[in-house]
Amino acid sequence: MKNKKGVGRVLGTQHTSTREFRVVLEDDEYLQLDDLVVVTTEVPRKGEVKTYGIVTEVEAIYEGATFESDTHRIAAEGILPAAKVRSAQVAITRIDPELWVSPDPGEVVDRATGAERDKALYKDEMGRPLAVGLGRDGEPVFVDLDFFDGRKGGHMSVSGISGVATKTSFALFFLRMLTANPEVVGEGAANMRVLVFNVKGEDLLWLDKHNKDFDETAAKGWDRLGVKPTPFQSVAFWAPPRPKSGDVVVPDISGRQEGVAAFAWTPREFVDEGLLRFLFTDASDTRNQIPFVEERVEAQLKRYAVDVAGEPGALVLRDPVEGHKPGDVVTPARGEMVIRDLKSLAEAIEEFVDPADDEPDQRWTGRVQPGTVSAFMRRLHAATNRLGHLIRAGESRRIDRLSAQVTVVGIQSLHDLGQRFVVGALLAETFAEKERSGRRFPLSVVVLDELNKYAPRDGTSPIKDMLIDIAQRGRSLGVLLVGAQQTASRVASEVMENAALKVAGRLDAAEAERAEYGWMLPSTRARARLLKPGTMILSQPAIPLPLVVDFPFPPWATRREEVVEEGDPFEGL
Amino acid sequence: MARLYVEEWSPEYGASVDTDESLAPSEGEVDVTVEQALPWDPVDGVDDGFPAIAFVDGIRRVDARLTIDDPAAGPTPGICGSFAAGAAVWRREPLSTAVEAVRVQRLAIFTGGATAELPALGHGLSYEIESVTESDPGLLISHFHTQMRRTEAEIALELARSGYFVVADGPISELAAESVVGYIKSHRVSYLPQDVMPIMARLEPGQRTPLFGMPSYKRYSWYQRLSRPAGGHSWSGVVRCEAPQSLGLERAVVLANRTAALLPRFRSEPHIDPRAPQNLVPIGALERQLRARLGDRDLIYRALRAATMGVPA
Repeated sequence: MKNKKGVGRVLGTQHTSTREFRVVLEDDEYLQLDDLVVVTTEVPRKGEVKTYGIVTEVEAIYEGATFESDTHRIAAEGILPAAKVRSAQVAITRIDPELWVSPDPGEVVDRATGAERDKALYKDEMGRPLAVGLGRDGEPVFVDLDFFDGRKGGHMSVSGISGVATKTSFALFFLRMLTANPEVVGEGAANMRVLVFNVKGEDLLWLDKHNKDFDETAAKGWDRLGVKPTPFQSVAFWAPPRPKSGDVVVPDISGRQEGVAAFAWTPREFVDEGLLRFLFTDASDTRNQIPFVEERVEAQLKRYAVDVAGEPGALVLRDPVEGHKPGDVVTPARGEMVIRDLKSLAEAIEEFVDPADDEPDQRWTGRVQPGTVSAFMRRLHAATNRLGHLIRAGESRRIDRLSAQVTVVGIQSLHDLGQRFVVGALLAETFAEKERSGRRFPLSVVVLDELNKYAPRDGTSPIKDMLIDIAQRGRSLGVLLVGAQQTASRVASEVMENAALKVAGRLDAAEAERAEYGWMLPSTRARARLLKPGTMILSQPAIPLPLVVDFPFPPWATRREEVVEEGDPFEGL
Repeated sequence: MARLYVEEWSPEYGASVDTDESLAPSEGEVDVTVEQALPWDPVDGVDDGFPAIAFVDGIRRVDARLTIDDPAAGPTPGICGSFAAGAAVWRREPLSTAVEAVRVQRLAIFTGGATAELPALGHGLSYEIESVTESDPGLLISHFHTQMRRTEAEIALELARSGYFVVADGPISELAAESVVGYIKSHRVSYLPQDVMPIMARLEPGQRTPLFGMPSYKRYSWYQRLSRPAGGHSWSGVVRCEAPQSLGLERAVVLANRTAALLPRFRSEPHIDPRAPQNLVPIGALERQLRARLGDRDLIYRALRAATMGVPA
């Protein structure tokens, strides 16, 4: 203890406990929220015990003032003697050695710095501490990576109001810390792949560009975290092709022109990977028999689909009794429908399930009501209009998640149905790949905003099932979900419960009171309504209390206007 | 062998002796012409900008009643008591009041010159043993009170010597020529002759009566008004002050003017203090703080009982 006086003493007029105590401050000292403190207590027969805590509230009062008007007598008229007493409420984070006793009243309270700070935040017990922000004291705050990468726990959930909660920014900051600290991430770091969906705006399409507004303060923050402030080094950008652009495939994106590739699936890929189900992702679709028809059609498509000579990815549908084998290539007969896109696929399916002048083929429909088949077709046609441009024959344009460490898929221009289709297809692909390999490494991280849209609390859909599956089993398969949502209460509880790391930015006042935020202290809840952009509340299994962390301004651009042009046109001015 | 007992009845029993009564001058010779010839006119107070006023007061508490039981000599009564005295010092720069110069003393007093060892009490408590020669138990309290008064007077004198203007609660007991003014809240005795009485109705807050001498007590005294409480009579909101005659008339007038001008600002409000306005705000607060410094009464009482019964506290 360098400063023998400390910042104050443990208050003696109310009970201390193993959960909290109060500190009466010295006149020339202060404590603010989130400050870390330590008290040494001499326990009979056991010796010295250190109690670590975090300041959850700070208060001041005139001691000796009995009536409200006494304030004037003390401060303005000066006729009433009173002592200004400032105190701080401390929530206990740790007792070391673990002896569950309360700190003694009157003991000196010190700021926890250096090794004591690490103890207060359990850093000494963390297997692999990864810095994920800065505390109020400007020092790094750590999470135990064991609780993210699947060893002891997995996944992260970020909640907060759109716009001010900086959910995506924090998720990306977290990714940057992951990618910048391979020595902490360990064996999972090699070939770690990150899949990021850009669901609104074009915020995430500049991750590889320097930010013009990156300043000295931000640089200092990054310096404290021990990470060189550079944009993401290895990023690939993908966008859907622009609809109605004929044979020319241009990425449908307005801001960024270079370095963005267009992605699409060929009818062959569509059939092989069973993507049909991701066209029926509306929660209401599961209430009728549509999934039954869809499963049947999907199975039949796999049996009937035959490749077309000279047209990669295109298909014709032929009855398997004709004897074609997998890998066969045929030349379409005259008048035979060649499937080159979703529209022709829908038409081809319609020939079987709802032919204009014939009875439906029960091998395709099963014994369902004609109305169900109509509903199925109606939805299929609607999907054709909304995301038909994502399916096209020709060379394969599927997203290559191995080409870069971070793959950003811009789905902001797609209709909801299209967004769900792409998310579903990519999640299925990622998960299936890991299921096949059965190995946890390399890690695969998926960043998905608006989780409430993909895994809503009510109803079922193929994507929701998949996300629940990832939440429950992804931990052991090395598929880690970083999900973000405005309201955790609207997201499937299985997904929320499996996230070991819970993060919240500014919350709506009513939302903050919900049970989903039970991990917060009452004082933290109250503050969650007031958090500034760049400040988050973080909970992790390794620390019994939530921590408030700041994360520095990113060195990568988040808008086109922030991008530092290469070959600065203003250079030399 | 003589044994010491702590009586079971409340320590305050029999303590309601107004011990200050004896110190107050009784009605007697008063010289009303030391400052003004009759008929009197109210005198305006003068704030001479004096930088600091020290309000000195003390409080006391009987902690326990004791009995020494000597098989041969019979029982001897005694008391254990604690008192605290100190000052609430008001300063103009910075405008504030602080409690200072606090002294706490604990006394065990026995009658008839008897003494007894108090066993160790714990809690950092210790009592000085004193005795009075008389055997009248009533004198125990007055001896105790006198000791407190003496301590108050010492504090007042020290503060006055170090440059403070001292307003001491109660009649002045020291006759030294220092800037000490006695402040008497209650006036059971009117010292003034009938022909000067009309002045009381004319006295406004911040004004005082001319000085009158009390030669037999070697004091100057005056009445002054703190406020005109709503619904009050001509004497409500009035206090009496006194200063030692040894100061000389000229200095006494300066003190009286200063007191008349400054004290109204310290008056208390009736909805806060039942003794308003006379119980000045700094004095009221000082008493509260002094009481806190005496320590918890029940804790001390139990410690005394436990110690005399031979039980560790």
